Amino acid sequence: MYTPLRIDPTKAMGDIASFQRKLAAGMTNLRGMQEPEYANTPRELVYSEDKLNVWHFKGEGKPTSKTPLLIVYALVNTVWMTDLQADRSMVRNLLEQGEDVYLIDWGYPDGADRWLTLDDYINGYLDRCVDVVRERHGLDAINMLGICQGGAFSLCYTALHRDKVRNLITMVTPVDFHTPDNMLSHWCRNLNVDQFVDAMGNIPAGLMNYVYLTLKPMRLNQQKYIGMVDILDNPTELENFLRMERWIFDSPDQAGEAFRQFIKDFYQDNKLIKGTLEIGGKRVDLGMLTQPVLNIFAEQDHLVPPDASRALGRHVGTTDYTQLAFKGGHIGIYVSGRAQREVPPAIHQWLSARD
Amino acid sequence: MADQASDFIKDDFIRNYQALAQQSWDAWARQMQQPQQPAQNPFFTPATTATAGNETLERTLAGLKGYFDWMQGVAAGSSTPPGGDWQQQLQQLFGGAGQPFAQAFGGIDSTGAEGFARQWQTWMQAAQQHPGFGDLAGAQGAASGPTPAFGQNREQQMQQQDMAAAILASMQASARYQTLIQRANSHGMERLQDKLAQHAEPGRQIESIKGLYDLWIDAAEEAYAEIALSNEFREVYGDMVNTQMRVRQLQLKQTEKICQELGVPTRSEVSSLGERLQAMRRELAALKHQLAASQSSAATAGKTSAAKATAKPPASAVKKSVATVAMSPRKVAVRKSTVGKANVKSSAAVSKPRSKPVTHVSPRKRK
Repeated sequence: MYTPLRIDPTKAMGDIASFQRKLAAGMTNLRGMQEPEYANTPRELVYSEDKLNVWHFKGEGKPTSKTPLLIVYALVNTVWMTDLQADRSMVRNLLEQGEDVYLIDWGYPDGADRWLTLDDYINGYLDRCVDVVRERHGLDAINMLGICQGGAFSLCYTALHRDKVRNLITMVTPVDFHTPDNMLSHWCRNLNVDQFVDAMGNIPAGLMNYVYLTLKPMRLNQQKYIGMVDILDNPTELENFLRMERWIFDSPDQAGEAFRQFIKDFYQDNKLIKGTLEIGGKRVDLGMLTQPVLNIFAEQDHLVPPDASRALGRHVGTTDYTQLAFKGGHIGIYVSGRAQREVPPAIHQWLSARD
Repeated sequence: MADQASDFIKDDFIRNYQALAQQSWDAWARQMQQPQQPAQNPFFTPATTATAGNETLERTLAGLKGYFDWMQGVAAGSSTPPGGDWQQQLQQLFGGAGQPFAQAFGGIDSTGAEGFARQWQTWMQAAQQHPGFGDLAGAQGAASGPTPAFGQNREQQMQQQDMAAAILASMQASARYQTLIQRANSHGMERLQDKLAQHAEPGRQIESIKGLYDLWIDAAEEAYAEIALSNEFREVYGDMVNTQMRVRQLQLKQTEKICQELGVPTRSEVSSLGERLQAMRRELAALKHQLAASQSSAATAGKTSAAKATAKPPASAVKKSVATVAMSPRKVAVRKSTVGKANVKSSAAVSKPRSKPVTHVSPRKRK
């Protein structure tokens, strides 16, 4: 009879010694290490309002695309996931493809932003950002790329301002919030959101991070750091790791009122696909969304399950709907090597055919 | 091989190595204990964070240390002769409270509850030291059941009773949550055994410590996900958060009462002002929008009148002219209404000094 474990004690001791050596090397490498910078692709600030900034990115060559692309990121975490590091930058890659890229950086809300609603974000901030880009290019409509919650915002915006969006791309965007594998949604259902927001005011970033980590507590709180030991003796890899840590934990608080509305209407009541969602007193009807839509989702996404995104195809009114399944996770879709090879080229190709 | 390993473990070299390893851990601990950014408490900002500042790093370090200890345990345990009771061996490797799995759940997953407990203790201390908080010790007794309050301190007493009851409810909810986490823990062990059983044949055996660890993580996550997606978890989780928020609301209420007595503006007052301000900003934006729309309508009417006053063009030209006018107001409206004068100014003012590409921006510093 065989046992499932066949670990050679000598080899095991060798592994332990190696682990210890890497730890020792890591101590040297970590000491005095500066906080890693993001890619910081050259960019120009073109609009600013309250905490929000709109950036226009500068590529090495002139854009070949006639229509600019505005990236609408989620309110959770910072927008720099799209421009994380030089060789893992979706923005840089899109520029290289020939896109003319703008990005909304929502900033870090504080107490003054406590009462911002989804109407303020979507029909206020977002609409003014779109107008700024339209104005700069003298266009009636621009292309929009919504990411995660920003994708949900983009869907609402496009449904409410149909004339201002020419082509819409959604990435890892939740549309059906009640798929059975949606852990976040499952946890939200019994939450007394009114009491929660009344008690907390703005929702602290630390709390949001805590909830995300508890979606996969063993992998994200432990296995990841044990894996880190393997790269402690590699300064480049270590820097990449720490950059990602910076992005994960340097996140903004959530404006209380917008959070209340988002959890209630989207997560708890699933109004986006029921057709009962109202933003600023106007109904959001996905069926009215008739412009071309490219929906990209990640097959191993633990935050936005693929089925939550796939649902979009059943609800939009457009006849030009394209779906792209990416083999990776919620973050890998921006920063993995595969993502660099597959995602920006696919976006550019799809847009070019509709430019 | 077993004897060989046994001798190896007993060897002085190992003892010396372990002493060196301990020194290494101590050095790491010192490194980690240098001033760090304060850790975020998930549900509350702790009142005292002098020692909590290194919480995340300490936890990481503890996790690594736990893993290291566990590795040594595996190495020692690997001397079990072939055909031995591997399931019992597994229990020894993964079952102890000091094992990484337990630490991960105990140290991370219950952080919400721990944070709450710490907050509660701080609150209790403050209540005992500050007369304004009333007799919380008496209120604790009231947690066993409401007692009618009367007299001059009636309101205060009622508040204390509410607080005690809320704390009790919260602690009970957290305990139910912990029970589920423990269940996930034990289910994880069962899953690991099932997974390992599939490796009990030549060519499929686990040959490295890391391989065993990764399998264990897979099993633990699967078990956790199953529990976390259950209706029971959903109910317990909601209850835990809701009861914690109830306590927080009562804390805020009591704090505000003291602030009012001291003449300090309260959070409710500031928040109320913020709400009114935001409402006014919306009204102002709507008025600007209306004004711009009426201005552009007037401009369009002016253009149309001027066009009518000129000679009558051929039919095809009229069609073209109408189409141009129809486009025109919208563009004007974009420039004057939706973007807004203030915003255009702001845009220009900000973009001018930054006309050169930005190469280094730290968003946090701009805050």
